[in-house]
Amino acid sequence: MPLLRMRNATFVRGDCGVGPISLDLLAGDRATLVLDSSTEAAIVARLACGLVKASSGSVLIGDYDPRVQSVHCKRLAALVAHEPATLHENDFARYVKYRAALWNVEETHALRLAGSLRERLGSMHAAFAFPLIGALIGAPQLVVLDRPQAAYAADMLGLLERFALLSTHTSDADAATFAPFAQRGKLRA
Amino acid sequence: MRTRPFVAIVAARLYAELGAIEFTILAALLVGMLAPRGLAGPIAFCCLAGIAAAMAQSPGRHRDLDHCEQSAPLFGRELARAKALAPCIAAILTAIAYLGAALTRGANEIAVAAPVVLSAVVLCTLVALCAAIRRGLPRVLYLIFAIAAGAAAYSLAAIAHSLWGELLFCAVAAFFAVRQYGEALARYDPI
Repeated sequence: MPLLRMRNATFVRGDCGVGPISLDLLAGDRATLVLDSSTEAAIVARLACGLVKASSGSVLIGDYDPRVQSVHCKRLAALVAHEPATLHENDFARYVKYRAALWNVEETHALRLAGSLRERLGSMHAAFAFPLIGALIGAPQLVVLDRPQAAYAADMLGLLERFALLSTHTSDADAATFAPFAQRGKLRA
Repeated sequence: MRTRPFVAIVAARLYAELGAIEFTILAALLVGMLAPRGLAGPIAFCCLAGIAAAMAQSPGRHRDLDHCEQSAPLFGRELARAKALAPCIAAILTAIAYLGAALTRGANEIAVAAPVVLSAVVLCTLVALCAAIRRGLPRVLYLIFAIAAGAAAYSLAAIAHSLWGELLFCAVAAFFAVRQYGEALARYDPI
């Protein structure tokens, strides 16, 4: 059973529209999608983790439909937004405790996990590292990266080895730099 | 609702607005000393403070908090209750500061004024929250509703002299305001 199944999924609000997109992502799979604009990339990333609902077509995360079971979808999929967080190193413990509380994860376990992840991402700036670490606190099965920084590709991909991974990009070159494992012919949405 | 995420959201929202809350409380102390008598002063000032506290919850002001809350496995109504409580606490603290300052200046009707002002302030804040997640005309309309709700509460208490009528009106209207906010949050698309 695919972890993420998109069938002719579209999103339309006013002038902004994207799709149709069809995609199957199994547990452990990695895929990249190249979209025409940053807005489209942001929308597709949010569609893929159930933060926004498709206007037409279908999106299933696990067995769940974000239109009616968004809470279950959000337990399975985590989004790492493109925008850096406005956080500093001394916000780390507070941020981890906050995320642990929202996902109802035991605080000491979350702090231990986050600490070990931060060690592995030692070279990454806090503004980019914290959202990624925060996304993993809830133990998702699918991680969606919205236009990730190519400069941190090795660190991020190493950290996300055991997760299903979908990343959105705005150019083939960005996607190829970030995710050389992706097949070129399947890059463009 | 589960207590832990509820407390975390409220605490994070209050922490993010700590500077503004401190400033509002200081202003309330000052205005409370300058205009200690009657209901018009505390209701008008504290309702405006409540509306400002509610509008500070608009999407985009605290992007990291918005993102975490939207991504978290919470129902719209759970999120709404937690997000509604933070500005209500800020507004209630403002009202307490105002009434406390008025008390030091010899205002002796505090026992009656306190429930009237607190209920009106909470109602105004909750109605204004519905404006915070909307744009354009709907936002303006909800802001007008919020001011009208404060005026109606004042009219019931100060003109119609119906304390229980005012409390009942505020309770019923606040209930519908929270429900409306929850439904709007559940339908909200962060695009």
